[in-house]
Amino acid sequence: MAQSKRFWRIVFLSLPLLFYAVIVIIPLTSSFYYSLTNWNGFSKTSDFVGLANFAKVSRDPLFLNAIRNTVIWMVAAIVVPSGFGLAIALVLHQGVRGANFFKSLFYLPICLSLAVIGQVWIWVYHPDWGLLNEILRLIGLQEATKAWLANPGTALPAVITAWSWQQVGLAMVIYLAGLTSIPAELTEAAEIDGANYRNLLRYVIIPLLSPATVVVIALSIINSLKSFDIVYIMTQGGPFHKSDTLAMFMYVESFKKYYMGYGSAISVVLFLIALVVIIFYFRQVQALEHLYD
Amino acid sequence: MTSRSRPMSRSRISRVVVLYVLLSLVVLIYSLPLIGVLLTSFKTTEEIAREGLWRLPHALRLTNFSHAWMEGNGKRYIVNSFLVTIPATFISIAFGVLTGYVFNKLPFKGSNLLFILIIAGMFFPPQIVLIPLFRFFNAVRLYDTLWPMIIVHIAFGIPICTLIMRNFFATIPTAIREAAIVDGASELQILLKIMLPLSLPALAVLATLQFTWIWNDFLWPIIFTQSDKWKTIMVGLIALKGQYSVAYGVQGAMAIIASVPTLIIFVFFQRYFIRGLTLGAVKG
Repeated sequence: MAQSKRFWRIVFLSLPLLFYAVIVIIPLTSSFYYSLTNWNGFSKTSDFVGLANFAKVSRDPLFLNAIRNTVIWMVAAIVVPSGFGLAIALVLHQGVRGANFFKSLFYLPICLSLAVIGQVWIWVYHPDWGLLNEILRLIGLQEATKAWLANPGTALPAVITAWSWQQVGLAMVIYLAGLTSIPAELTEAAEIDGANYRNLLRYVIIPLLSPATVVVIALSIINSLKSFDIVYIMTQGGPFHKSDTLAMFMYVESFKKYYMGYGSAISVVLFLIALVVIIFYFRQVQALEHLYD
Repeated sequence: MTSRSRPMSRSRISRVVVLYVLLSLVVLIYSLPLIGVLLTSFKTTEEIAREGLWRLPHALRLTNFSHAWMEGNGKRYIVNSFLVTIPATFISIAFGVLTGYVFNKLPFKGSNLLFILIIAGMFFPPQIVLIPLFRFFNAVRLYDTLWPMIIVHIAFGIPICTLIMRNFFATIPTAIREAAIVDGASELQILLKIMLPLSLPALAVLATLQFTWIWNDFLWPIIFTQSDKWKTIMVGLIALKGQYSVAYGVQGAMAIIASVPTLIIFVFFQRYFIRGLTLGAVKG
């Protein structure tokens, strides 16, 4: 009996775990090794250079620039999707007529590829016929029009906005799930006690939504660390590296310049940042999990 | 509910009106970018040069779509995307069924830790494995084929599939398995004949999630393919941009073609897709 359990465990787990080990675990650990070498992507051999790549990283202005942009992205990722997502979810949860139609529209961007979203938003920002400039001209703000993606001051916010457009929908999904899990008796009781909507929000709904908020923020941060596709498509990190993120910078150093050792060091830094967020997230979710059972 | 039965007060009516106006405005602004693509895809290049992207097209011409499909290689890219997405979706879910079953019904010492380690993989930035995988697929001579994408998506799908299947199996009473064991069934028979038929909702959730993610992926084909012959649709979309830099209509048509499969899932299986998003996020 116990024997057969063990047999089936091995049968069921071996192939999935083999895939997972070969494609995820082993490469993950070998990235740490490559980060200590000067491998160039082609040669059969490479030299062990110790922590030289990490020393170089800490002095590289382009790396520090990418870190800065990634942090800006993270801050936006914490504030924008959760703020808008919560607001929309609250409105739609009130039982407005046609709520399902509105929900679908906000869901829609989640099913689109970031390649498509990038393409769509390039047109929004197009200097000549972009939607944004057309609207500015329409309301007489001619002098405010610009080439949003080519302008060093606006490139990063423009890309982050396009990205947030999708993330808002995701945040809304999670907040709606959170809202439905709040027992109606609780909000009714507060209303009977004479609480107005603002107080209801402040003392009942938002505190009860904190698990959803943790999820939304953690997911946004993690997604912001991965932000590569949309940057690649919209700006390639330009102009003058103004919209470079860590993920984009890592790609260019590794696959355009073939500094694979250096690129590995960057990916290790990215991984370590993500690890901190993931550990924080797991601890929070474990503490909160009973709320969703 | 009560507001239906008694007449609405004036302040309540005005509140509802304001709410709707605001909501409609937000929705309009939110969907404008997509409306723009739709409009553009029906316009000729001359029309766009004359009137820009955001006016109504003069006629519903489909020439841009046929152009993107034929000359723009849309057909080939779509076929490649299906060749990657379908096997990767199917196999990753099959793996999730196997691992999820073991983690829930056949736990062993340390299985919880192993489970958490696998789930954590869902959140790692893929950049950490780019270089080693690039080297690996070069070494096994699969660079510039569709194989690396299939293999990588199977492996990266294991965390979410394991998570959702394990949690689903947890809702099926263990007594069912025990009764079957007493009747002499093997674990494989239990899994295939009893558990799987009960798991259809979970399988549907995973199928929509995995299909959408794999279909929409852009990173792996950029890393693992080079020649036009093996481009998936998302990379093809960007390649087309270089080739037809001013033919916005063709680009718009290609963007729509690229989104059709996931839009179909969105329209017909939205319930499962949304459930998957919340399950994956909250339970992770």
